[in-house]
Order: sequence, then C-alpha cells, then structure tokens
Amino acid sequence: MLLETKGLRKSFGGLRAVFGIDLQVDENEIVSIIGPNGAGKSTLFNLITGHIPADRGAVYFKGKDVTRLPPFKISRLGIGRSFQKLNIFPRLSTFQNVQVASFSAKGLNRSLFSRAENILTEEVEHILESVGLADRAGTLGGLLAHGDQKRLEIGIALALNPELLLLDEPTQGMSPGETSQTTELIHLLVKKRRIGLAFVEHDMKVVFSISDKIYVMHQGMMIFSGKPSEVRSNERVQSIYLGKEKDSASRG
Amino acid sequence: MEGIKAKPSWLHGRALRAILMSIVLALLIALPALISKSWLNITIEILIMALAACSLNLMLGYTGMVSFGPAGLYAVGAYTTAILLTKLKMNIVPAMIAAPIMAAIIGWAVGWVCVRRTKVYFALLTLAFSQIIWTIIFEWYAVTGGDDGIVSIPTPEFFFSIANSYYFCLALVGCCIFALWRIVNSPFGRTLQAIRENPDRVEFIGVNLKRYQLAAFVLSSIFLGIAGSLYCVFSGSAFPDYAHWTKSTDMLVMCLLGGIYHFSGPLAGSAVYTILAKTLSKHTMQWNLILGVAIVLLVLLMRNGVVGFVSEKVFRKK
Repeated sequence: MLLETKGLRKSFGGLRAVFGIDLQVDENEIVSIIGPNGAGKSTLFNLITGHIPADRGAVYFKGKDVTRLPPFKISRLGIGRSFQKLNIFPRLSTFQNVQVASFSAKGLNRSLFSRAENILTEEVEHILESVGLADRAGTLGGLLAHGDQKRLEIGIALALNPELLLLDEPTQGMSPGETSQTTELIHLLVKKRRIGLAFVEHDMKVVFSISDKIYVMHQGMMIFSGKPSEVRSNERVQSIYLGKEKDSASRG
Repeated sequence: MEGIKAKPSWLHGRALRAILMSIVLALLIALPALISKSWLNITIEILIMALAACSLNLMLGYTGMVSFGPAGLYAVGAYTTAILLTKLKMNIVPAMIAAPIMAAIIGWAVGWVCVRRTKVYFALLTLAFSQIIWTIIFEWYAVTGGDDGIVSIPTPEFFFSIANSYYFCLALVGCCIFALWRIVNSPFGRTLQAIRENPDRVEFIGVNLKRYQLAAFVLSSIFLGIAGSLYCVFSGSAFPDYAHWTKSTDMLVMCLLGGIYHFSGPLAGSAVYTILAKTLSKHTMQWNLILGVAIVLLVLLMRNGVVGFVSEKVFRKK
C-alpha cells in the first residue's frame, strides 16, 4: 500500500474537521474524495502532507510512519500536492516555477554559483509539455490564465517525481473543454508513471470517469467508499451528496 | 519553437545591456582621471554602500525578508577589521578576511533567532539585534572606544593615494557583486526567489524553508561584513554610527529607490541616494528635508525603482 491513514482526527476549536479517517491509495490507482463543502477533504490533505498536525491517528507512506514529519520532509519522500487555492510562484516564469521544484527534487538547490538557466532544461520542458504549457514557458506564472495556473500546479508537483500525487480540486474554475482536457491529462499521467493519485473534486463527471475508487466524506467522516458503480447505487450517498450535487449542477 | 526555451526577460535586451555594462566599466576605470578628488571619495562611498545595499537586497528583494538590521552586521565587519588593525596590530589582509568570517558567525547566531518569526516580527527582531550590536559597540569602551570610535587606524601606505583606494574598492566590490550576481542566478538563488514568491508553498516542493532563509541571512551578513571592513579601511576609522538603525534605513532606501526586483537596483539606488545626500548637504542645512521629499517623489513616480523605471522604458519587452 502506497498511502494509508489510520483513524486520522483533527478538530479546530469545537469543530470536528476530520474524524477518524481511514484512507488507502495504491500505486497506479486513482482515488477520488468527494463530499459537500466543509466535509474535511482539504483538511485531510493538509494532515497527510504535514501542513497541519493531526490530533490523533497516523499516516503511513510506503509502510513508514510519516505522521509527525514536517512538510518538506514528507514532500521529499515522494508526495507531491496541489492546492485548492492557486498556489504557484507568481513572479517566476512558468518554466522557473517547475524548474525550482526540479532543483529541489534533485537536491540541486544548494548549488550556489552555477547558472540556473542552463540546468535541467530538458526535464522541465518535458514536464511543461506533458501538462500542455510548453508554449507558455516564458510567461510569468502569475500572468497565466486560471486553467493554465491550475495545470502549472500539477507541473510543479510532477517535478518532484512523486510516487503519490494529491490534487485538491484540479479542475475547479475550468471551462468544460479545459476540464475534460485536464481529466485526460491526469489519467494519462497516472497510467504512464504508475503513481498513486488521490484527488478532491466536485465535478462528478470527472470523478466517475477516471476514479478506481471513490471515498465519500461528510462532516469529517468517511461515510462510504467503493468502486464508482457502488457509489452511484448507494442510496445514502445519493441522498446526502449526489442528489444535491445534481441539483446544484443543473441550477448551474 | 522559440517559445519553448524559457528566456528570462532581460535576455531580450542582452546586446544592449552588454554595451551598457562595458561603457559603465570603462567609465569606472577611467574615473580617477575624470573627476575631482572629493567626487572620487564620494564614488568610493557609493561603491561600498552599493555592496551593502546589494547584500541587503539578497534578503529583501530576492528572499522577501525585510531586515531592519543590516547596519549591525556592516558594523561588525568594520569593527572587526578596526580592532584587529589597532589592538592586535595585525596585517591588513587577515584583518580584512576576518571581517566577513566574524559577520558570518554573528549573522548566523542572529539569523537563527530571527528566521523563527516572519514578516513584521522578523523585521522587529532584526532591528532589535542591530540595536544590541550598536549598544555593545557604544558601551564597551575598552575594546571599541565607545562613542569616540576607533580613529587613525594604521592602514598601509598603499591607501594613502585616493586613486589606489578607489581601484582597490572597485576591484573588491566588483568581485563581491559578481559573486552575488552568480548567487541570485543559481539554483540556490532561484529557490530564494521561490521563497519570496510563496514561502508556504516551497515546503511542499521539499525545501526546508527556515534553513534557506538562514542561509540567505548568513550570506547577506558576509557581504555586509566585507562592505563594513572596506569602509573602515577607506575611512581609517570606525564609529558606533555604523551600526545605528538610520544606517540600516539608508540601505533600505537605497534598495527601494533603485528597485528591489532588479539586481542592479541597489547599485543605482546607492548612487542616486549618496549623490543626492552629498550635493544637498553642501547647499542647505535642511538637506534631510529636501532629501526626504525627493525620495517620496522618486518612489511615487517610479514604483519599481529607478532601474525598474528605466528598464520598463528602454528594455520594453517584445
């Protein structure tokens, strides 16, 4: 098992954000986490990557307990992530955004006097191509269109050569065209690199089209998990989540 | 396929820049023959402050750490050289080499504490530490001479000639600035810029944030120490004023005036600020007031500093 969480818990004040979550992600597997706003999905990611400390429970990555490690160490072990809110380096070029992550992955960012612009260029270009940003390489990250910035986030995460990728709403705010493009891209990445992927998503079309397994969260608890077909036919899930989602989707 | 290679924006005017650089360099070398001795003195001060401001900008503009205490480390460099030359009668070479080493040690100790806080708290800590350094210098008569400072420091005959001093400064400052330029354009420098842009995000690309901030702090301290040492040798004296917080704000203003997002910003800032201060103080007692107004106007009219303004007008991209 690539990633395993056991009984993860986190409260903010009196609010139970995450309450006893067991999550499992295997390599070459796409896992999606769905649930209404405030269900604790992003908090779960933050607990896994060490962004916030867990109250209880444990996170195992490749069998190793990583629960108390700081984010940079967890990241170095091979967990890449993207964020729900855009989180790039705005005043670095698209190319440099990815390159700086590559430096880190290769342990090159201690190099004091070599010329950065000539290092790892091929690898970075390759990553930019795979996320469809090759022609925007010279543009400042902050000046990219929203969808491009979302893809750049994936590019930054990929530069770390992760074995596990956590994407928080990778298609949020994208046009239908961009969404299907990005969905395809994510699917391809996982199959090609044989990595594990867990992602949070509100777009049910995306979720059902590529997920191997779906976890449904509600008020900090995991209320159901299973294959897409099982989730679709589960009445409880439908009543608290899918139904509402369909309504809001049709309302636009 | 042009677009695939990421070219930094300055490359578009590379030829223009190379020509400009050569002209500036030729001018700097010919300068002693062109201007009066008093102006040459001012130029030396510009060079030294340019190095100090550039060192500060490694933190300020490249890592996004606003320090109010660079003068403390600058003074550490100056006093290290001054004390070694006067009290221990050391040779100039080890006395100058000791300055950046001492500055690095103290910079490491101070930085280790300061990087534990961010933003305004970080700024306040740096200010507090530079005030501590100032107080130590001011009170420790036996070693630092207190508010009398250390004067008539024995420097080699070589420095009696103003032209020699100038060339020495030019060479040393030039080497240091070249080193700084290599640093900011290295993978390390790029990592610092990523920290400036988004300190929370860098931890998720595997960067130990605090360690890199501390590294920037220490590197900055080293070059500040060199600048201080150089000023001590050039002026033949060291005073508690070197560590005063107003000296720190001088350096900050130079960076902001020149443009913190351009490598040459602090260099231009040092020139503009020093020349303004020197010429104004010659003509009026209220020069500080006029200087203040001039700085406010410059900052308002040129949002990205003098260099930012010029590069927007001259090197307009594409």
